[in-house]
Amino acid sequence: MKLRFSRKTLCIPYAVFLVFFVIVPMLVILVYAFTDRNMGFSFGNFVKFFSDPTKLSTIVYSIVIALITTAVCLLIAYPVAYILARSKMKQKHVVLMLFVVPMWINFVLRVNAIREIFNWIGLLGEANYFNTVFGMVYDFLPFMILPLYTTLMKIDGSLYEAAADLGGSAFNGFMRVTLPLSLPGVMSGVTMVFLPSMTNYVVSDMLGNSMVTIVGKFIYEYFGSDWHMGSMVALILLIVVFISTWLTGGFQSEENVRGANL
Amino acid sequence: MNKKRIPSLALASLLLLPSLTALSGCGGKNAEIILRVYSWEEYIDNGGEGSYLYDTMLEEGLEPSEEDAPRILDDFEKWYEETYGTSIRVEYATFGTNEDMYNEIVLGNEYDLLCPSDYMIMKLAAENRIEPYDESFFDETDPNNYYVRNVSPYIRGVFENGTVNVTREEETETHKWSEYAAGYMWGTTGFVYNPEHVERDDLEELGWGVFTSDKFTNKITAKDNVRDTYFAALGLTYQDELLALDKAESGYNKTLTDIFNRTAEEYTDEVGETLLAMKENIYGFETDTGKQDMVSGKIWLNYAWSGDAVYALDEAEEKNDVYLEYFVPESGSNLWFDGWVLTKGVEERGTKQAAQAFVNFMSMPESAKRNSYFIGYTSVIAGEENEMLDYTDYLYGVEDEEEETDENFYDLSWFFNEEEAPVGIFADEEQRTRRQLYTQFSPADVMQRCAVMNYFDADTSERINELWSHVKSESLDAWAIVVICVSAAAIVLFVLYMKFGNKIDFFRRNPKKGYTLVRQAPIK
Repeated sequence: MKLRFSRKTLCIPYAVFLVFFVIVPMLVILVYAFTDRNMGFSFGNFVKFFSDPTKLSTIVYSIVIALITTAVCLLIAYPVAYILARSKMKQKHVVLMLFVVPMWINFVLRVNAIREIFNWIGLLGEANYFNTVFGMVYDFLPFMILPLYTTLMKIDGSLYEAAADLGGSAFNGFMRVTLPLSLPGVMSGVTMVFLPSMTNYVVSDMLGNSMVTIVGKFIYEYFGSDWHMGSMVALILLIVVFISTWLTGGFQSEENVRGANL
Repeated sequence: MNKKRIPSLALASLLLLPSLTALSGCGGKNAEIILRVYSWEEYIDNGGEGSYLYDTMLEEGLEPSEEDAPRILDDFEKWYEETYGTSIRVEYATFGTNEDMYNEIVLGNEYDLLCPSDYMIMKLAAENRIEPYDESFFDETDPNNYYVRNVSPYIRGVFENGTVNVTREEETETHKWSEYAAGYMWGTTGFVYNPEHVERDDLEELGWGVFTSDKFTNKITAKDNVRDTYFAALGLTYQDELLALDKAESGYNKTLTDIFNRTAEEYTDEVGETLLAMKENIYGFETDTGKQDMVSGKIWLNYAWSGDAVYALDEAEEKNDVYLEYFVPESGSNLWFDGWVLTKGVEERGTKQAAQAFVNFMSMPESAKRNSYFIGYTSVIAGEENEMLDYTDYLYGVEDEEEETDENFYDLSWFFNEEEAPVGIFADEEQRTRRQLYTQFSPADVMQRCAVMNYFDADTSERINELWSHVKSESLDAWAIVVICVSAAAIVLFVLYMKFGNKIDFFRRNPKKGYTLVRQAPIK
């Protein structure tokens, strides 16, 4: 057989990557989740997870923290993206940059900086949950702004004109034209903020003085002692994430959704 | 077609080129032996500014350059080649927690020499994952056996008396720690505190009670790891019992050690209550932000390992002009150590001799000074001529000869040489009772009430980790969880209905009379 170097060949590294870094690890997690210490098949971890209020509470707390973070991010990001996308300003990419530039600085450094600021204003150690949510909003805001901005930019300006021509008020136009058309951006922004804010325990450890335990920390701690329970928690988190992504339509392969995924 | 292929091929080869050269660049130095060492982050002399060699040269009025203070690993490689005539290269990797290291070893990563803590040494030994040292390693007549010749008699005693049950091929034998491990650094756990806000007398009175005292609400931190904080909770729960023990009795330390190893189910409930009470009162759990928060004044008390405490005391004074002190509770505390162990298969890989030579090199008094100076921890080395005593004197002793009075004598015989007592140095009151000297070498009576905490076997570990996760997490009431689960299910069902409702006959909305249902708007 003649070896041909075609474009398909360029896919091989990706396929290999996919198998070794996505599929195999998932299978490993699955195996560990349903085995006990002696590697025998067991539902023990599953039963233990759902019979322990501590574990369920941690999941619930993480979801609530993630929901609040996402909501606050959306509330801040939508107006920003909307104003930027609609404005006639020449240098608007500079403004956009200002929101994105912090992402270029190391994440731990940024969290440390916020920690110092909180210490300075006296919030550190006083409001652990508030601090955690604040830190997450600060960290994940660009992930919300960017997809929103891209989607809003792509909306054809004549649609607004048509809405106005047909007698729609500004509010009506927004509700019936802008909002529905920007939904794919909202969805991809939500996915990109919601998921990491359930697991990013660096923020909760640094700003919440390790007094706030989210599910990511939980998994990390279990992997210090009991891989099987750790895998079970990871698997359950995976399922929660899968369900929420599916419900919000994250798997639709419409072009505008993909376009908004950065 | 051909044209298309050329640029992509060229691009691919361009991408590969630098990686190839990088790969070949790695093995630039050809050594006959490669020794793979796996130790803690920032736990070895790294040369350059701030190292022992550099700073002593500065003090002598010389102007040292970076080359005058090489990394200790470079010196080891040179020394090994000169002594044994074989070239060697050390691959030095670091870990952040014992558990990370353990996971790496279990996954089959091949290192020759590890530097775990006490309990992890026991766990690795019990699981037959480490190799005993050769008998020749303990031969004191060999001038190159620096470890046995220089190690402190106190540490030697700890290692001789500690035992671990090793299971090998279904058979369980009891072995001494000393067969498996050679010490590196050791210390106690205690509290770094800021005397501006904290009265030493309060600490003496409260002991472990500082964690729940309203005097320090929101001003004290615990460690964000289960073992250290569980230990503190044991001290707090059984403080009265510990204080009531008779110190003069011969089994005192044994009884105390048993109390600090209470992990059976009958105790964990009680200790769990204490942990929850601690959580209510403390500022937070930390792993590495303690020093920062002490300096900024956010907290007044930081539960710390003595080595970190020395570092915090030094740094806070030098860089921030903040004066800190150290305290060990009267009722007892933790004696911990980190030691070198040889991994399984080290013999087959032909690196056992080199690994033992590495331990010996690190046990030279000169190396011990360099490492200790660099990281702030106390070395297990005393020195044949008590070199480490002179070093301690150089760091913390009084400068004025007139102050060398009986009153200022700090007895260190327990560590250096019991037989030639008294062995010690002259130091001022601060150093003797609450500063670096006290932190590095606590007085004999403090050491007498220190206990090593054993490793948790699998069942205990599971139980205590469950307890820990229960302490760390907020627990919701059962009804709250039910309400949340039900509402989550309702949301899921609602979304499903919105998505697929129309596809199921049962849910299909019937068109109003007189209208026909139009699936798709007609296009004209």
